[in-house]
Amino acid sequence: MDQSLSKPILLFNDECAVCRAIAHWVQKSAERQAGGSSIIVRPIGDDPLILRTLNPELDIWDAYANIHLLMPDGSMKTNGEAVAETLRSLPDTRWLARSFNVRLFGWRPFQMMLNAAYTVLADMRPLLGCESCGIPPPWLRPFHWIAQRITGKYKPRNHTAATAHITVAHDLKIPGRSSVV
Amino acid sequence: MPVARDFVRSVTEETFDSLVLGAVDPVAVEFMSYGCEHCRLLEPAMQKVAKDLVSREAIFRVNIAVCQELAIRYEIEGTPTLIMFFNGNEVGRAVGPNPSGKVLLEVVTRPFVGRA
Repeated sequence: MDQSLSKPILLFNDECAVCRAIAHWVQKSAERQAGGSSIIVRPIGDDPLILRTLNPELDIWDAYANIHLLMPDGSMKTNGEAVAETLRSLPDTRWLARSFNVRLFGWRPFQMMLNAAYTVLADMRPLLGCESCGIPPPWLRPFHWIAQRITGKYKPRNHTAATAHITVAHDLKIPGRSSVV
Repeated sequence: MPVARDFVRSVTEETFDSLVLGAVDPVAVEFMSYGCEHCRLLEPAMQKVAKDLVSREAIFRVNIAVCQELAIRYEIEGTPTLIMFFNGNEVGRAVGPNPSGKVLLEVVTRPFVGRA
């Protein structure tokens, strides 16, 4: 683990328009903190090993699937808990974040609501514009469709290849092998 | 915490030609992206199949978020897409295979079977 971690690190998916906008807002809010930014905001990137240097338990697949906040003490917060901790770190939202600690009969109702809201938002991300899915924002889709047909370049799409289809080049012979596996 | 061994090796535009097209053994390449949910679901099966086939077939991954030239060259329209190569030629392709070890094993080995 990176022992030099002095502030929480918020990891965001830089291929996702929603995540990018939220990260930008967090960054701007954090910079308003007296004495310097209270949180480090950085994209997840594409290198699993670099992420492991931040925290050995951090898996790049998990990092892209949901929000991760790396704490200076070596712990990791995810999903709604990470959102609450992020809001707690920002000067403008610290007051709001106190509500997530309120307990009622052993439950934390506001934290539970936040967890549910985060789950819904996380699922909706592709619909709101996510380059990693190849799906542009709804208002740009007609233009995106036309541009692809004019240029003939189809940008790779993720998340959409749910139905499997397999093609095999049957006419190709591999010399000297009846079965290689 | 020990890091689990990665049986699927990453290739880039710099290493693709030598490791994939220049290979004499069967090769399967997964075109993927870490932001892709279907790729994430497929990953455990990919690791299992790559481990099972380690001595017979090489399995690589290409991250299309980084290697866009390769994605365009091989006309990748969706991830995950698996392309099977033999002697530098594409001999099979599977788009969005079912994320089960059995299906995936069939997908990555079938193009190399019965080609005497």
